[in-house]
Amino acid sequence: MEALEQLIHAGQVSPVRDRMAAELEDVNTLCDTYRSRIYRYALLSLRDPDLAESVTQDCFLKAYKARNEFRGECTVATWLTRIATNLIRDATRSRKFQFWKAASSTAVDAGAIADRLRSPGLSPETFLMVKEELQQLWDTVATLPGQQRSVFLLRFVEEMEVLDIATAMGLHVGTVKSHLHRALTAVRKAMERTK
Amino acid sequence: MKTTHLSAWEHEECVLGQSTPEMRSHLMECASCRAAVARLEHGVTLFRSAAMEWSSECLASRPRQAPIVVSGRLPAVAVRWAIAGAVLLLFALLPFHLWSPRPVQPASGISDDALLQQVDEQLSVAVPASMESLTHLVSTESGSGAAVATSAPGGKHFVQTN
Repeated sequence: MEALEQLIHAGQVSPVRDRMAAELEDVNTLCDTYRSRIYRYALLSLRDPDLAESVTQDCFLKAYKARNEFRGECTVATWLTRIATNLIRDATRSRKFQFWKAASSTAVDAGAIADRLRSPGLSPETFLMVKEELQQLWDTVATLPGQQRSVFLLRFVEEMEVLDIATAMGLHVGTVKSHLHRALTAVRKAMERTK
Repeated sequence: MKTTHLSAWEHEECVLGQSTPEMRSHLMECASCRAAVARLEHGVTLFRSAAMEWSSECLASRPRQAPIVVSGRLPAVAVRWAIAGAVLLLFALLPFHLWSPRPVQPASGISDDALLQQVDEQLSVAVPASMESLTHLVSTESGSGAAVATSAPGGKHFVQTN
């Protein structure tokens, strides 16, 4: 036991890293823990529920197959986000996705989502205003460039720290901040349009 | 405290949680900047709520994901060798299959019963098929003196013409 403690202090054995590595060994527990998070990220990036599901499953299989490559330098969530980011990028580059994106006429109706978010105390006028704001925001985020949108989603939907976003996306912290400012500028302009 | 209003970039810094003490003290005093930051925050929060709602709804409507079964797989190299071996074996056995003697099939597709019936009909005819046309040429009753009728052993009359 003393020898183990000495190794831990010497940095040769990391209990946290071992715990995270153990988490990766059980693929079904991994899915249960992170599925909704990865699916949400894929769904908001691709705006296609079927493709998002496919990306989510690929993400977990890829993570399981590459579990020996996990060095414990970031959290499992960040590592999975990194894999998902690469899969999303590959999916958006595919010709099939480009075709369906161009051909699709069934855009996500933000108004319908707003209906479900409506609180009972909201007056009809205020609700209409909120609905319009949401539609503007929804469309604005959809038109953000790929990396900018991913950074925005990871920061404001997944509430990840800037450093973790930089790790997940393989970007410099400064680049992440720059993307966030640009995305927020676009959001502000969208809000101003609904004034 | 900062005397002039905060810039748009500083508003964004506040929303990102990167505000400096100076910015924070300005926000305490300036209602206009506070409103601008609050508006931006409201937009982000609204988007987040909608995103969470849509995602939960999509996830709930999907069938429960079946547990991922990860079997103990053979090494990829072994699988490749097995496939290569199977293909080679197939090519080695293919000539035997293609050039092996095949059983002789009957020439026609007539069934056995039909064939037997045809044979019976042939045998039951008293006059051979080659001579059958002659029986229609001359009747035994209407014949002239020149015609000589003879009786065949089977009871059938043959007509001989001069």
